[in-house]
Amino acid sequence: MADQAATMVPAGSTSHRLSFLGNLPLGALLLCAVLIAAATAATISNLTVQLPSALWVDALTAPDIDDMRQVLVHYAYLPRLAVSLLCGAALGLAGTVLQQVLRNPLAAPETVGVSAGAYLALALATLLAPSLLAYGREWVALAGALVAIAAVFGLSWHKGLSPLSVVLAGLVVSLYAGSIGAALIVLKHEWLAGLFIWGAGTLGQQDWTTTLWLIPRLGIAALAIGLMVRPLTLLGLDDEGARSLGVPLGVYRFAALGAAVALISFVVAAVGVIGFIGLAAAALARIGGARRFGQRLIMAPLIGAALLWAADQGVQLLTGSQGDLLPTGAITALLGAPLLLWLLPRLKLGSETPALTADRLPRALHPGLLLIGIAILLTAVLFFALFYGPGPAGWNFAFGDQLQSILSWRLPRVLAALSAGAMLALAGLMIQRLTGNPMASPEVLGVSAGAALGMIVALFVFVDASRPTQTIAATVGAFAALSVMLALGRRAAFAPERLLLAGIALTALFDALILILTATGDPRAMLLLNWFTGSTYGVDINAAILTAGLAAFLVVLTPLFLRWLDILPLGPTAAHGLGLNLTTTRLLILLMTAALTAASTLIVGPLTFIGLMAPHLARRLGLARAMPQAVGAVLAGALIMVAADWIGRTAIFPRQIPAGLVATLIGGPILMWLLRRR
Amino acid sequence: MCEGDSLFLLHQRPTSRRAKVKTVSQIEVSTAFKIDDVSFAVGDRRLLGPVSLELERSRVYGLIGHNGSGKTTLIKLLARQQAVTSGAITFAERPLERWGSRELARALAYLPQTTPAATGLTVRELAALGRYPWHGALGRFGAEDRQHVEEALKLTDMEGFADRLVDELSGGERQRAWLAMLVAQNAGVMLLDEPISALDIAHQVEVLGLVQELSRKRDLCVIIVLHDPNMAARYCDELIALKDGRLLTRGTPAEMMKSDVLKGIFGVEMGVFPHPVTGQPIGYVQ
Repeated sequence: MADQAATMVPAGSTSHRLSFLGNLPLGALLLCAVLIAAATAATISNLTVQLPSALWVDALTAPDIDDMRQVLVHYAYLPRLAVSLLCGAALGLAGTVLQQVLRNPLAAPETVGVSAGAYLALALATLLAPSLLAYGREWVALAGALVAIAAVFGLSWHKGLSPLSVVLAGLVVSLYAGSIGAALIVLKHEWLAGLFIWGAGTLGQQDWTTTLWLIPRLGIAALAIGLMVRPLTLLGLDDEGARSLGVPLGVYRFAALGAAVALISFVVAAVGVIGFIGLAAAALARIGGARRFGQRLIMAPLIGAALLWAADQGVQLLTGSQGDLLPTGAITALLGAPLLLWLLPRLKLGSETPALTADRLPRALHPGLLLIGIAILLTAVLFFALFYGPGPAGWNFAFGDQLQSILSWRLPRVLAALSAGAMLALAGLMIQRLTGNPMASPEVLGVSAGAALGMIVALFVFVDASRPTQTIAATVGAFAALSVMLALGRRAAFAPERLLLAGIALTALFDALILILTATGDPRAMLLLNWFTGSTYGVDINAAILTAGLAAFLVVLTPLFLRWLDILPLGPTAAHGLGLNLTTTRLLILLMTAALTAASTLIVGPLTFIGLMAPHLARRLGLARAMPQAVGAVLAGALIMVAADWIGRTAIFPRQIPAGLVATLIGGPILMWLLRRR
Repeated sequence: MCEGDSLFLLHQRPTSRRAKVKTVSQIEVSTAFKIDDVSFAVGDRRLLGPVSLELERSRVYGLIGHNGSGKTTLIKLLARQQAVTSGAITFAERPLERWGSRELARALAYLPQTTPAATGLTVRELAALGRYPWHGALGRFGAEDRQHVEEALKLTDMEGFADRLVDELSGGERQRAWLAMLVAQNAGVMLLDEPISALDIAHQVEVLGLVQELSRKRDLCVIIVLHDPNMAARYCDELIALKDGRLLTRGTPAEMMKSDVLKGIFGVEMGVFPHPVTGQPIGYVQ
C-alpha cells in the first residue's frame, strides 16, 4: 500500500513543483483549439453565404427587420449557434459528472434513462393527448425525463445510490422506456415519424426563446456542480475513502446526479436526444490529459461545446442553412467517434477511473436447483410457444395434421429466438467478466452495429437484396467491425477500458450512419426497423437450423472459457500471477463474444437487452461463479427470448410485435424487481 | 522442458495428464533468480536500478527499504508483472521472458500488494483458483488439487472461513485468504509484497512462521517485501536493502541489524539492543 502510494504521490507532488504549464491538460487544450478553429472556419463560411460580413454586427445587435437575410441570421442562424454551444457544453459537463459519480468511463447522459424517458413521453403525448404538446414540447419531455429519473432513483435508493445500482437501474429504465417507444413507433409509425428527427437531435431555431430558456436553467445546474467540485472529487475514490474523508456519499451522489440529470433533461427537452457527445467529451478530456476532476469539469464542456458547434456548422455547410435534413446528433457522432478512435491508441489513459466497487450480492444456496427450475420453465414456455397459439378460431393447441403445417411456421422462429437468446446472454456474460464492467454488453464490441451497417448498405446498394445477400453483407460488416476493434486493441493487450471506449465509438459511428439513413425517411428504413428491434419474423427453417447449430457449437466451446472467466474478475495482476496469458486470453474471449454476437445479430437483429441484462439477472438470482452464472444466463436469455417471441406473435394477433421489444418489456420488470430486492 | 525449470515444479504427480511435468530432482541448480544489471523506468523516471543480484533456493529473503526505494518494482519484475527496461532476469537458468505463462505460474507464485475487494467468491473457491496453473482451462479439478486446497486452508488458518465470502472478511482475513490461494498454487518460488500489512501481531507471526516453514519443508525460495526490519530479521535468512532504486546492501540479519546499517537504509537514527529472551538484535528508532 505504502509503496504504491509512494509511486503515485510523487507524480502529483512533482506536478505541483513543476511549472504551471506542466499541469495543464495540453492535449485537451490542443484538441479544443483545433475543433474551435474548424468550427470558426465553418461558421465564417456559413455566415458569409447568408450575409455580407459588413452587416454581421448589425444582424446580431439590431437586425433590420426589412432585410430578410439579417432576420434569418438573427432569428435562426445565431440562436442555433448559441444553442449548439450551450447544449454541447451542458452534455460534456453532465457526462463528466456522471462518469465521476458512477465511477464508470461508459457512463453517459443516455445511461441514466433521461433521454429515453423524454422520448417516450413525447411519443405518448403525440398519440394519446396531442393537446398537451400545445403547452410546449419541452415540458412534456421534461416530465418524461423526471419520471424516468424518479424510477432510477427509486430502484437504487435502498443501495444508497451506489454506482452499480444506479447504472443498472438507469440501463433498465432506459431500455424499457426505449423499447416501449420503439414498440409504439412500430405500431403507429405513421403518427410518429417526426419523432425520428427529434430522436436524432435537431438544433434548428426560429428565435432566441430556446436560448433564453436554456441559459438560466443550465446555468443554475452548472453552478450547483461547481459548488460541489471538492466533494465530487472525493466521490471518485472508493466508498470507504470518501466516507472517511467526511463526504456523506448518498447526499452528494443524489445532488450530483440530480444536477447532471437536470442538465441533460433541459437539453433533451430543448433540442432532442444528441447522443454520444456527453461520453465523447468526457473521454476526450481525460485522454487529452485532464487528469484531475476539476480540470475535466472545465475541459469536457469546452470540448463538448466545440464538438457540437463544429458538427452543427459542418451539417449546415453540407446541407445549406436549413440543415434539418441531417440530424446534428448523428453528425456529432460522425465527427467525434473517429476522433476518439484515432486518439485512443495514441494516448495513455490514466488509471483515473477506479475499478467499480461491486455490490455485495447474495449467493444462492442451491444453484443447481435454481438452474433446474429455470430449465423447467424454459421447457414449459417452449411447449406453449410451439403448440399453443391463436388461430382464426381463437386460442387452441395444435395437434396432428394441423400441427404439421403450423410447426413449419412456428419452429423456425422458436428455434431462432432460443438460439439468439442463449448466444446473446453468453456473449454478455463473457464481455462483462472480461471487462469487469457491468455496463458492457455484446454490442459494445461494435459487431452488431457493423452487421447492421452491412445490412443497410446491402439494402440501399442492391435494388432487390435477397435474404442471403443481406446475411452476407451483415457478416462482412460484422467482421469489418471486429477487425477494426482488434487492430485498435492489440497494442494495449486488449486492455478493457480502451476496448470498451473503442467499441462505443465504433458503435456510435455506425449508429450515426444508420440514423442518418433512417432519418431521410426512406421507406427502406422502415423495413429495417423490424430487424433493429429484434424480430424473428421471416426467419426460414434453414437459417434457424443453421443458427441453432452455430449456437450449439459455440455453447459447447464455452467450458474452455469458464475458468478464465472466474479468474479475470480478480484483476490483471492476479490473473497474470495465476498464469493467464492476458493478451491471448482476452483475444480468445473477444473472438468468442464476437462470434456469438454476430451469429445472433444476423438472425434477430442487434438486441441490447438480453446480452446486457441476462448475466445480471443470473447474478442477482444468486449465481456467482462463472459456470452457474453462464448456465443461468443462457437459460434465462433463451427463456425470455422464446417467451417474448411467443407473446410478440400472439398478443395482438394477427399483427406482431418484434420479439426484441417484448423481451425488454417482460425482462425489464423482472430485473427491476430483482434490483429492488433487499 | 529443460533441466533447470523442473526444479521449481514441486510435488508433481505421475498422472498421465501431467506426465509431461517431470518429477523434482533434488538440488542441482541452487540459483533461483539471476538478476543482471536490471533497471526499470517509467518515462524519464527511473524507479529501479541498475541492480544485480543472485537469489537462491530454500531461502527466505526480506526486501527492506524506505518508501519508493524500489522494493515493489523489483518484486513485480521478478514476478514478470512488468518487463525490465534494461538488463536481464534469469529464472532457473532460463531467461524469465522465455517461460510460458502457466509454466511460470507453476514455478512462481506472486501475491500483489493490493487485491480486489469484491470477488463474489468464497475463501475455498478463491484458494482453488490457485490450482489453475496446474489443471489449466479444461483439466479436471482432481483429488490432488482438492487436497492442496484443503492443506492451504489449514496452513493459513482459514478452515473456519472456508465457506465465507471473501468480500465479507476483514482485511487481515482477506489477506490470509489470498495467501491460501498462493499456498495452493504450490510453486517453488513465492513473491510476497507486504503479505502481513493488514494482519494483527499474532497472525503476522503465524504467517511469517508459515512462510519460513514452507521454505524449509518444500525448498522454497521466498522473497518478501517487509516494512518492519525486526520482523524481517526474525524470519528471513537474508535481508536485501534497497535505497533510491539501487541495491544498498545485503546480508544476514546479524550483519544487517546494526545501527549504522539501519540508519543508512531508513535514514533515521536507529539503535539496536539484544532481545531479552532470544538475544537477537532488535532495532529501534532513537
